[in-house]
Amino acid sequence: MTEIFATRTRVVRELSGALGAIADGSVIGLGGTLTAGRPMALLRELLRQRPRDLTLVSPVASIDVDLAVATGCVARVVTSYVGAESVAGVGPIFRAAVERGDVEVVDRDEAHCILGLRAAAQGLPFLPWLGGVGTDLPVTQPELVEFADPITGRILLAIPAIALDLALIHAEVADDYGNVQFAGTGHTDMQLASAATRVIVQCDRIVPNDTIRRNPAATYFWRNTTVVRAPWGTHPFASGAIDIDEAALRDFVTRARALLKGDSDEMERYVQDTIYKVSTHEQYLETVGVTRISELLT
Amino acid sequence: MSTPASALELQTIVLARDFRPDDLVFQVGANLTSARAACMLASLTTHPDARLLLGIEIENFSNGRPVPSVPTFLFRALGHELGEANMHQSTVFDTMSRPDVFFVGGIEVDRVGNVNLTGIPNEECGWKVRGPGPVALATMSTFCNGYYILMGRHDRRTFVERVSHITALGDRQRRTELGLPGGGPRLLLSPLGVFDFDDAGSMRLRSLHEGVTGEQVADSTGFDVVVPDSVPTTSPPTASELAMLRSVVDREGLLGEPAAPPRPVTITEEQR
Repeated sequence: MTEIFATRTRVVRELSGALGAIADGSVIGLGGTLTAGRPMALLRELLRQRPRDLTLVSPVASIDVDLAVATGCVARVVTSYVGAESVAGVGPIFRAAVERGDVEVVDRDEAHCILGLRAAAQGLPFLPWLGGVGTDLPVTQPELVEFADPITGRILLAIPAIALDLALIHAEVADDYGNVQFAGTGHTDMQLASAATRVIVQCDRIVPNDTIRRNPAATYFWRNTTVVRAPWGTHPFASGAIDIDEAALRDFVTRARALLKGDSDEMERYVQDTIYKVSTHEQYLETVGVTRISELLT
Repeated sequence: MSTPASALELQTIVLARDFRPDDLVFQVGANLTSARAACMLASLTTHPDARLLLGIEIENFSNGRPVPSVPTFLFRALGHELGEANMHQSTVFDTMSRPDVFFVGGIEVDRVGNVNLTGIPNEECGWKVRGPGPVALATMSTFCNGYYILMGRHDRRTFVERVSHITALGDRQRRTELGLPGGGPRLLLSPLGVFDFDDAGSMRLRSLHEGVTGEQVADSTGFDVVVPDSVPTTSPPTASELAMLRSVVDREGLLGEPAAPPRPVTITEEQR
């Protein structure tokens, strides 16, 4: 009897290989906000492929961008902020690369990022906004165009669409079929995913479809989604399952500052040990250690 | 007698005292600990009906509700389980009930209250100095009823005639011409004193922090600040304000070690 019913396609993949080939110059969205919800397992997998000339898009980013810049794969960052609050007011590697001219910043206010992603998702070239009119953002960012509103004649700002080739996001829970549920607000991950041709979700837990169905109001889904299991995959950042590893962030910033003073050994070791010499998320977690993970569990 | 207030404690108290009775929604951005603390203090005391947007958490500490100590990070684990509601970034900018009060940090500020948090551009469309970025300054400074400018330094490199890049438009005249809805900057707090903006929109000295002179402000500012005939000393936190701040709001002491009051700079003959 059952053979007459079609089988739904599973979209769960191993981390290794989940990203497929990343073309040079790809535009890649990174989920999360500041020190929470960052898809670090996917980012580390991305960096292992040694891609080139990437444009990273993250509405409010952290020093995950510094890590990516340190590996030399970033040409451009579309964001409103890169830093880790009091741990690093500005991401130090990002800052140095920008001041050298090695990395271009596409400055967007936080709301501009959301509008740009929304415009892409809606198939619009831009969306209008008032915030930023009269500032110098349209001066240094000529793609932000002031224009006269055809209805009232007042000056508005055209926020261009931000279309992504790939969105990488973290969710606490997903099922075999790409149904995704966030613990919390999901930051701007929904907007990133909606603006992307392809979505890869790393999750703390893969649960049965019946578990997803207990709270259908919380479910998100997108066309062309792949799910990867990566428990505590936001480390050293927070998720619904794990707290911020402040010591690890401070350690990274110390290595970054040494790198900027010409001592690249510590950063090189970090990149080798956490990215290139590991091939699975579990091997990365071993570098963090069970004791530390245990301390961070909520 | 408790230890004197640190610079950030003083900033917290000055902010909390200035909030207006009809301020109902406060939003605090990244890396502004004193603003976080001031909003928490107001919620506990003067503003029981206020909603505080602290990262994902939307808080209210009225009716003696237990208060978590000022957090180091805005976006942290289980933030969505704290507070009475969640701040949804995807919709927070879409609502007419958007925040009344906002706080703006800057790497530069100018005579009319324009703030630069983006950086100092160079000739090649890049950045001589790269700042944190616009975060939500352009949008929130446009819409909110009023915002506070919090400057960590006060010298001629940060207080300039015209900022290198306007991230938040403070200029009252330009705001009116463009029809921006918000109220613009209310106060500017620096390590030297408290400033507001006169009817023409020019920065005006409102009070000097204890031990600071008007000459010191003039020497440290790259433009002429409007100075009224009489400038009071910033009234220091009262014992009860400090006690509330330290014992309830900032139990972990995030607002820092008590700083000695800044002294007028005297350059000796040998230092020349």
